[in-house]
Amino acid sequence: MRSPFHSEPEAFRFVLLLTLALVPVVLAAALGPTWLALVVLAVVLGALAVRAAQLRMRKLRGLEQPVKMAPPHMGSAEERRVLVVANDTLSDEALLSEVERLASVPHTHVLVLVPALISPSARLTGAVDGLLDQARVRLKAALDRVGPDVVVAGEISEADPLEAIEDTFATFVPDEVIVSTRCERPASGLEPGLAGLVRERFAVPVRHIVSEPGSAAREPDRDTEARYRHEFGDAAARKFGLKALAGAGIVAAVLMSMVALVQSSERNEARAAAQAAEQIAALPPVANVVDLKVIPEGKLGPEGEKHDEFTTTEFAVRAGQPQELRIDNTDEVPHSITAPEAGVNIVVMPGVHTYTLLVSHPGRFLWFCTFRCDEWAMEHPGYMSGYITVS
Amino acid sequence: MLIEHPDEAMGLEIAAGLRLAGYAVAVCPGPRGHARCPLTGPAGCAPAHDADLVVCSLGYEQGAAREILRELRTRYPDTPLVVEVPADIDADLQELLGGCHRLPAPATPEQIVTAVQGLPGHAPAEDSAGA
Repeated sequence: MRSPFHSEPEAFRFVLLLTLALVPVVLAAALGPTWLALVVLAVVLGALAVRAAQLRMRKLRGLEQPVKMAPPHMGSAEERRVLVVANDTLSDEALLSEVERLASVPHTHVLVLVPALISPSARLTGAVDGLLDQARVRLKAALDRVGPDVVVAGEISEADPLEAIEDTFATFVPDEVIVSTRCERPASGLEPGLAGLVRERFAVPVRHIVSEPGSAAREPDRDTEARYRHEFGDAAARKFGLKALAGAGIVAAVLMSMVALVQSSERNEARAAAQAAEQIAALPPVANVVDLKVIPEGKLGPEGEKHDEFTTTEFAVRAGQPQELRIDNTDEVPHSITAPEAGVNIVVMPGVHTYTLLVSHPGRFLWFCTFRCDEWAMEHPGYMSGYITVS
Repeated sequence: MLIEHPDEAMGLEIAAGLRLAGYAVAVCPGPRGHARCPLTGPAGCAPAHDADLVVCSLGYEQGAAREILRELRTRYPDTPLVVEVPADIDADLQELLGGCHRLPAPATPEQIVTAVQGLPGHAPAEDSAGA
């Protein structure tokens, strides 16, 4: 995996730019609704994408001349390494003669690199093997043709031609690169503009050999090279523009869907809140104070015995609204209204006292007396137990 | 090692000599190659930042040459400079050249390689590897 950054400062600047770009998004998210944050995110992404596209276009069109790089020479001072990059022209007599001539020079190593020219669509459809086989056959035929008297190495690459050449700079370390193409790019051949790209990127001499079957090879003049580069840049920029448009369309569609989803979700929440308010408004009014008593052995049980009782055991309250209970505990000992799930624990002291019943969340909660009094009554709603219904 | 030279072919010849001497090279055509030379911009120049030595020709127009030299001296004061100096430079440029290794223009690639190898810490390795 190649790093997209050329240096640490470049990576640092990217992180800084990204952080600064996220500031308005975070501010919008913190201070405004979610959809606004998404809109700001879309604007920021759009601005970054436009700037990146501008820079990419400049590079593709060759308006920015990059710095050429090359590793140190490999081997002894007499040694010379020549990289020949070809695909569809590998059967051309002119190229093969040149390869043979180079390889016969003492201390010269020649590597023939054949990029298999695998397009993204071929990768997607899995039609890679056919292209690799084609490259392999072409390379084998070429190496057979240059004969046994000279040593020429060969290599097939699945990578993009420029990346494949970059890779050989790390392994073979050429002192010169020869790029062999046709005058015009055929359906399955190297792009004539490739030589210009190699020249722009690598600090070694680059020769471009242009040939057509049956005719002599030639090296294009400066104007022709400039035309090849220009045409390649235009085609690549067009392709990139289409891809960028498609990508922008997809991102815009995703962001618009997200905005729509967020807005719809916010509308649903608002509707639900309004419905809840309506439901609360429709509830019967709650009495300001509920009067009740605790009477020991005040109520006859189904088995015929008398049990302790709260005279009211069903309480209806509103969530978050305090409800006053005036309780006359006629017993000599305390009792309680305890509902752990509702967070209620009211200790009812002997005598008449006013207590506050407050539950924060809706539900129906069982309460019971926790003081040991009438055990049967403590377990039976309607006696020393009951329910708090919170709406 | 960064080579800043307005003449592309000459820059490549110097690069070939330095590569043969065992140095990794980067060749930059200078301000002519960019809408604005990154060296003079806020971002700085990544190859100059990474270089352990810069070979610079002052064959540019004098304003550009002054700007390049000033930025190299200011931003990367610890990076040694080998400068190819034309005869007719003004006093400002002369002042900026203090502490640089100077070669009279036009210098041959061999002269430049020899000058680089003569700098402390840049002597040729036995096996010509490194840089």
